[in-house]
Amino acid sequence: MLLLITRPRYDTPTHYLFYWAGLLIDEAKKKGIKVIDLDKGKAKKKKLHSYLDKQPIDTVILNGHGSPEAVAGQDDEIILSTGNGTKLLGNKIIFVRACDAGKILGKEIMKNGAGGFIGYLQPFIFPIDKNYFNKPLEDELAAPVLKCSNQVGTSLIRGRSATEAHKDSLDKYAETIDKYSSSEAINSFLLPILFWNMTSQVCYQ
Amino acid sequence: MEEKNNIQIISEDIINLVIARLETIPPDVEMSVGNEGSFPIGELIKRVKKQDDIGKKIIEMQLAYLRSLGKLPTKDLQNASANN
Repeated sequence: MLLLITRPRYDTPTHYLFYWAGLLIDEAKKKGIKVIDLDKGKAKKKKLHSYLDKQPIDTVILNGHGSPEAVAGQDDEIILSTGNGTKLLGNKIIFVRACDAGKILGKEIMKNGAGGFIGYLQPFIFPIDKNYFNKPLEDELAAPVLKCSNQVGTSLIRGRSATEAHKDSLDKYAETIDKYSSSEAINSFLLPILFWNMTSQVCYQ
Repeated sequence: MEEKNNIQIISEDIINLVIARLETIPPDVEMSVGNEGSFPIGELIKRVKKQDDIGKKIIEMQLAYLRSLGKLPTKDLQNASANN
């Protein structure tokens, strides 16, 4: 398997996603999977399109800001959008961890022959404990949401199909919601956020 | 929420309910809301009061969760009544 990940880092949300996507890279490497890591300044349209065109990539994970028709890389540069790059994703499985991209972009990616698409129909929302800004992986409030969404990537790395990876992630959300619903649980304010991201996540295959 | 001439009108009760729920969030927490950036809870409360795009998304998120509580599986409802 050859995995390509984009992980820009230029504001608070991308700062967190940068680190959490880094865990997926670690996991892939442990499994002997080759990873193309387009981090920070490398998360640019020209680089992404060039790799997609020339390398036998199987799985693509894009982290960043998004809209119904596009996904951004470093400094808000649009790196993939309807009519621009979606044909490069034929036979690949794509996970777009960005707002709204499941609405239109995901459907076009599938029309152009992708093997599967997982994304979101709404803004991806997560809480941040300001005290952990410099240690995002230790932020216990962001972790429940980001672990559930990371499950998509983890399952894809383990060779699961898009549908299976989506289901694994939804199962993790359900399990986490149960955990925070118990009467002993603190931070129950996380429940609407978990539910929102769970019900916004879509899979096309 | 009711719709009049395509304008969504959110009742004051719902706004107050959402604000009360946001007020339970610890002050050290910020919320990353998609492309819009991250916001302290006080700022989110202001947005909810203003009912701008971000405020409306937060209202939508809270209401979606509250509505889901009415759809609990029967097993959960049985457990709840057994515990009371």
